[in-house]
Amino acid sequence: MKTLLNISVAALILAGGAYLYAEDDYEEHEHRSSSVVAKPMTKQDKTTMALYQKECGACHIAYQPEFLPKRSWDKTMNTLDSHFGTNASLDPADHKTIQNYLATHASRNDRMTGMGGEIAMRISETPNFKREHREVAQKMVTQAEVKSFANCAACHTKAASGSYREREIRIPNYGSWE
Amino acid sequence: MKYLAIVAMFSMSLMAASPEVVQYMKELETAAKTENRSFSGFDAARGKEIFTSTHTGKQGKPMACTSCHTLNLANPGKNALTGKVIDPLSPSTNPQRLTSTKEVTKWLRRNFMDVYAREGTAQEKGDVLTYIMKN
Ligand code: HEC
Ligand code: HEC
Ligand code: HEC
Repeated sequence: MKTLLNISVAALILAGGAYLYAEDDYEEHEHRSSSVVAKPMTKQDKTTMALYQKECGACHIAYQPEFLPKRSWDKTMNTLDSHFGTNASLDPADHKTIQNYLATHASRNDRMTGMGGEIAMRISETPNFKREHREVAQKMVTQAEVKSFANCAACHTKAASGSYREREIRIPNYGSWE
Repeated sequence: MKYLAIVAMFSMSLMAASPEVVQYMKELETAAKTENRSFSGFDAARGKEIFTSTHTGKQGKPMACTSCHTLNLANPGKNALTGKVIDPLSPSTNPQRLTSTKEVTKWLRRNFMDVYAREGTAQEKGDVLTYIMKN
């Protein structure tokens, strides 16, 4: 049952990749074409994906690697014992597998233009993200049910499966966005 | 025969942890004896105190194990840092708990840092696991 669940989550994520930042033409194309010629996932790929989901999805949703480039993920992976005020360290074997997984699926776009050379560790601090969310009022984010922009799933009801379509948005105490 | 089955059931419920984790507890016991010469076994009451008392955590703010796991271990908790729901910690409610030493050591390392801003001692880990097993 658990494996079945992981596989379907994996499939959803692959499919969901197409919904990340619709205006991001390059990656959009990338996802579309990869879902057309989708190579079936090997058993190894599935195990790796399940490991990522479990380990990086224990405290928040397992963020889709496509939201940040490799150098962001590398910085995160190199500072896990002090990860946003908590300790998220892994054993060496899992650490290596996850770092490789993130690197393979990372965004090919830099996503940090205009950040003055800083390496974004938060998806929510990238200019792309800020532009997408500029109309979302601060009080919708800071309320107890959401806490911060890091809590994607509080508003994007299908975030964990990689889908961010507007009609799936439900903001606690405010309702749908459309 | 009936009697035997009852005895077996009784000792299983006493353990409430997989053989792997029971083995880990034995290692903690050995380590606790080295740490503290007067150590005389793990204690659920001390474990409860560890679990329910508030300390200055890694973030410099008041924090307790119960901040995320709640006072009733049979209930789901909520991660105080991220808001994500946490499945119950009680092994009798959630049979997956305390079945993997890898999981247990990983979370005790992280969670003692969260609450105590340091790693737990062998005795503290053994006490708190003994408390969790009884709930
Ligand atoms: C022990 C808990 C824990 C684990 C495990 C964990 N994280 Fe986090 N993570 C956090 C916390 C706490 C935050 C900050 C949340 C907030 O600001 O509301 C965070 C935030 C993040 C953010 C920033 C989100 C944003 O855009 O604001 C990223 C990216 C991230 N984590 C990646 C990872 C990756 C990759 C892993 C796996 C290697 C991981 N996390 C594992 C606790 C954890
Ligand atoms: C407080 C609620 C809230 C949170 C938390 C939130 N979002 Fe959003 N997000 C929105 C809203 C509302 C929109 C639509 C904005 C608009 O159309 O003006 C949106 C839009 C998006 C879009 C564009 C969707 C499209 O169809 O173009 C993406 C991608 C996205 N969010 C990803 C994320 C990610 C990733 C996170 C977490 C790191 C996150 N969001 C956290 C409310 C939220
Ligand atoms: C910041 C939130 C937080 C705090 C504080 C916290 N925990 Fe946890 N704990 C978690 C999360 C998240 C998990 C993993 C959740 C999951 O597996 O579903 C976890 C898992 C565990 C596990 C692993 C159980 C298993 O076998 O799966 C144990 C044991 C544990 N915690 C004990 C403690 C103890 C003891 C304390 C206090 C020293 C504590 N926790 C404080 C968030 C927390």
